[in-house]
Amino acid sequence: MYKNIFKYDDMKRSEHMAVRNTVGWYYWTHQLLEITGPDVVAFLDSLYPGNIASLAVGRDRYTTMLNEQGEIIDDVVIMHVSEGTYWVSTLYATKTDDWWYYHQGDYDVEWTEITEDWAMLAVQGPRSRDVIETLCTESVVGQKFFEIRDNEINGISVKINRAGYTGEKWGYEIYMSPDDLETIEAAVNAEVTRNGGKRVTEFQVMAWTLPTEAGIYYMRDLAHTNPIEVGLDKNICWNKDFIGKDALLKVKETGAEREMVGFEVLADDFYIRAKQYGGPGEPVYIDSEEEEVGRVSKLVYSYVREVNNGYILAKKGALKIGDHIRIHGYDCVITEKKWM
Amino acid sequence: MSRKIDERIPQNSGVGTNIKEYVAIQSPWNKLVSYQEAMHYISRFESVLSAAAMQALRIMIPDYPERAELMCEDAYERLYTTGKYYGNDDSFGIHPFMCGDFPGALIGDMGDDALLMCGRCQDFGTYRCEKELDVCDWDIVGSELCRTTTMSLQGQAKASRERRPDGPTLDYMMVEAKGCGDRHCRIIAENREKYPAPAHELWQSFGPAVTDDYKKVTQEEDTVEEPMMFREECNYHFVNGTNTETDSSNQMMNLSTAASLYILPAISEAVKRKYVTRKQADHILHCVLEASGKAMFGERYAIKGLRDWMGVPNSIKEDGRLLAGLIEMQLQALVCGYEVEAFNENECILVIERSGLEIGGTRDMAEAHVSMWYGMAKTLINAQWACWEEDSPAKKLRIRIARKIDKFA
Repeated sequence: MYKNIFKYDDMKRSEHMAVRNTVGWYYWTHQLLEITGPDVVAFLDSLYPGNIASLAVGRDRYTTMLNEQGEIIDDVVIMHVSEGTYWVSTLYATKTDDWWYYHQGDYDVEWTEITEDWAMLAVQGPRSRDVIETLCTESVVGQKFFEIRDNEINGISVKINRAGYTGEKWGYEIYMSPDDLETIEAAVNAEVTRNGGKRVTEFQVMAWTLPTEAGIYYMRDLAHTNPIEVGLDKNICWNKDFIGKDALLKVKETGAEREMVGFEVLADDFYIRAKQYGGPGEPVYIDSEEEEVGRVSKLVYSYVREVNNGYILAKKGALKIGDHIRIHGYDCVITEKKWM
Repeated sequence: MSRKIDERIPQNSGVGTNIKEYVAIQSPWNKLVSYQEAMHYISRFESVLSAAAMQALRIMIPDYPERAELMCEDAYERLYTTGKYYGNDDSFGIHPFMCGDFPGALIGDMGDDALLMCGRCQDFGTYRCEKELDVCDWDIVGSELCRTTTMSLQGQAKASRERRPDGPTLDYMMVEAKGCGDRHCRIIAENREKYPAPAHELWQSFGPAVTDDYKKVTQEEDTVEEPMMFREECNYHFVNGTNTETDSSNQMMNLSTAASLYILPAISEAVKRKYVTRKQADHILHCVLEASGKAMFGERYAIKGLRDWMGVPNSIKEDGRLLAGLIEMQLQALVCGYEVEAFNENECILVIERSGLEIGGTRDMAEAHVSMWYGMAKTLINAQWACWEEDSPAKKLRIRIARKIDKFA
């Protein structure tokens, strides 16, 4: 009982380590909203704290989306796919659609959900560039991170986006028509296998263990936080207005009340609840166990470092790196929130 | 008989004062019951009705495996079909890249909380999922139901899976069940290629789990009594692992019951498979529900408790208003529309929106309630009294509670 669901799982380990050591590929289709119109830049800039106006054609940008209270309600990648046309990659298209509609006002923009039109495969890991370079007609050698280009695989039109959710320097996303998915999958699988990699099939690896090891969040980690608390304020463009800006400025002025910290559980097997499964997460106390100082947001496993790793959303300053605490009776240590 | 309605305090009494307004159901004597308590009350009442309906099915199909198999097959097919045509992956936070059966766990997770079946998801992965419940109002219905709900989840998972590219399938099993006497309910879903186990029939969905040593069993001191939507630590919101959030604002309107979802449809299936005729099925169901209704107030203290709960004044003795008042509370808790045509010491008449009582679209639910209410009249009031349907307009259920001499009662 309480056997670690990550540590002893050879399948998860091999899929995770394929991405770290060679290359892994997986079906990674997100929801896509395509937006155009004369006011598209102004509209997106009003919705997202990231700088959209400076986003060149063919480039992407990660940004949060905030409500009026400055809380993160989505985190997305915005791709400037062609002059005046943007793709917004999200996992909450229905809510986003409602939010945009509610805030459209006089902005002259049009958008449509194009999720059904595009499938996406992720190819991630140190050998991913070799795989993509071999598969594609046009070279990807000079392609920058967060750059999307048209290309071809086996005569099939695709878009290659150099990006990823694994923390790997080399990682690509292949966008294609769902009609071509089977053909492209076969080609990718063959080339990945030839490069000593494999297919990643486990959700927990693609969405939890790989990104967490690299200090990347899943939206559940970010719910009801603001960018300053979780360290996502670096890319905020303060020289423009956006929804949530006033609230964030107040946070900047007074200082964040909470912060996201990393932690490791020292035992092999344990019972500690984390928000990744839903619910409020395990409460975190210090010493006397009288005052709750935080809640466990994420708790997975770093196959690179061989530790149980995760995040705690904690009262600012309550937990410092190196602190030893007990969570639900298990010894833990506070760490940086990155394990690579 | 007079169609008199006794003087009642209007529902908006007090509006405009400085007293805060609360969401509550209201008895005819102006006793308010909070939203939360009303949900708990109606959930348990409907579970009692469901437990009685299950007894009826047990009479119709005495053999446990046969009965469980029929229930599981029926639920699997119906929920698969419902999921196929009406499933909404977005509303559960099922993402496009989630291939396979495992997103079905998100459907079950959210459904549990909405039914006050609080607990926690313990694992959520492509090859293994685990959900643990601390509370289940359906735990009095019968273990066949535990198997059946598991198979309905299997059906929904399949329907959801078919909307995305192929992925690993899962074998959903309820390895512990409060309905069997276990402390928790525990569904563990495993992929049989990764975790091989002998094949089993649909109804044999009780495990054991191959991954028993992965189980996260919550100790008593950490168990919960309320769903997330009623817990401060959850900010009064249900939140799942993929960040779907809901609150309690529409839960009463969406309350489903074991009887409406699983048992009455299974009885219809039993008729279709010729275990009984429709007439026999209705007769058995009526007999069992009537007895169940009588049992509710067989003990005098239950009547005292009810009077207190509804704030019934001492001036009201044994008459139909006791039952009519209780039925009004139930209807409000079910968010079922009704009108009071008569409410006095001689008779009470309620005209009820039939569709509001046909929870989940199960048509026999209205008749099932009338049978229960008939039995309740006998012990809550006395044997001179009865509750029956009379002169119902289209789409309505008009019930009358009055004295009635019936030589064949």
